[in-house]
Amino acid sequence: MTRAPAELDAIVRAALADIAPEIDADNVAVNDNIRDSFDLDSIDFLGFVEALHAATGIDIPERDYRTVETVAACVAYLGRRMADGASG
Amino acid sequence: VVSRGPSGPPRASLAAAVGRLMERSKREIPHFYLSEDIDLNAALAWLTAMNDQRSVDQRLLPAALLLRAVVVALRDAPDLNGHFVDGCFAPRDDVQLGLAVSMRQGGLIAPVIRDAHTLDLQSLMGAMRDVVGRARAGSLRSSDLGPATITVTNLGEQGAASVFGVIIPPQVAIVGFGRVTERVWVADGMIGIRSVVTASLSADHRASHGHRGSRFLTTLAKRLATPEELL
Repeated sequence: MTRAPAELDAIVRAALADIAPEIDADNVAVNDNIRDSFDLDSIDFLGFVEALHAATGIDIPERDYRTVETVAACVAYLGRRMADGASG
Repeated sequence: VVSRGPSGPPRASLAAAVGRLMERSKREIPHFYLSEDIDLNAALAWLTAMNDQRSVDQRLLPAALLLRAVVVALRDAPDLNGHFVDGCFAPRDDVQLGLAVSMRQGGLIAPVIRDAHTLDLQSLMGAMRDVVGRARAGSLRSSDLGPATITVTNLGEQGAASVFGVIIPPQVAIVGFGRVTERVWVADGMIGIRSVVTASLSADHRASHGHRGSRFLTTLAKRLATPEELL
C-alpha cells in the first residue's frame, strides 16, 4: 500500500497532536526537530511511533528513530517503507 | 495565571502545593547526598537487542530498566524505603514508587506506581507509561497520588547530567538519574567510551547514612550490569 505525501503529512501531524495536544500540529515547520522543539521525552516519542504504526501499519524500529525526527523526514521515511512493502 | 488540564487541579495551586511541600522538606529533613556514575553499556545493548525483536507496543525504555533496578536494589536497602513519622522511621517491605513527572506546560507532579515490587520489567514499563500519560493528560486518579515509599526523578535525554532531588515527606529518600551521556571510561585498566548515567541518592540522615546509601548505589550499578536478571 502506498499513500500520497500529503496524506502522510496529515498522518504525521495527527500522531504529533495525539501525543502532545498542546502543539499546534498543523503549523509545525516540516524541518523542525520535533523532539527538541517540543521537548518530547522517550515516552512521548514511543507514543508517536505507536501512533504512526496504528495509522500506517509501519513499525519503525528503534535504530531508525533518529531518522524520523522531523515531519518531512517522517513523510519520506514512511513513503519509502510503504513503497518497499508494495514492491517487495 | 491559572490554567486547568482536562480534569486536573488548577496548575497554579498545584505548583504552590509542591512549593510548600519542598519548603517543609528542606526545613525538616536533614538531607545528605551521594552520587555514582554507572556504566550502562551492557544494559543499553541488552535493551536494544530485546527491542529489535519486539513490535512497538512491546518495547522497553531505559527509564523502565532504571526503575526496575531501583526496586530490586531496594531489597537490600530497607532504610531508604518507608516513612518517617512521629520521630521514627517505619521501613516498608512493599515499594510504592513515586515518579517525578514534569508537565509539558510547566509544573511537576509525582504520581505513584503502586506495588512496584510485584511488577516485572514489562509490567513496570506499562505502569510507568500509564501513570505518566495520565499525569500529562491531567487525568490522574486518587489512587495515583497515594503515598509513595520512595521517589525517583529521571531527567531523561533532554535533561542535565545529574540531579539531586528534594525528599518528599514523609519519605526518606529520592533517587535521581541524569541524562545518559557518552563518556570516556576506565575499566579493568582499559580506556573506552561508554554510555554512562549519573545516579544520585538524596536521603534522610535520620533514617540512613552515607555508608548505607553508598551500598545502595553500588548495588544499583551491579544490577544494571546484569540487565537480563531484571526481567
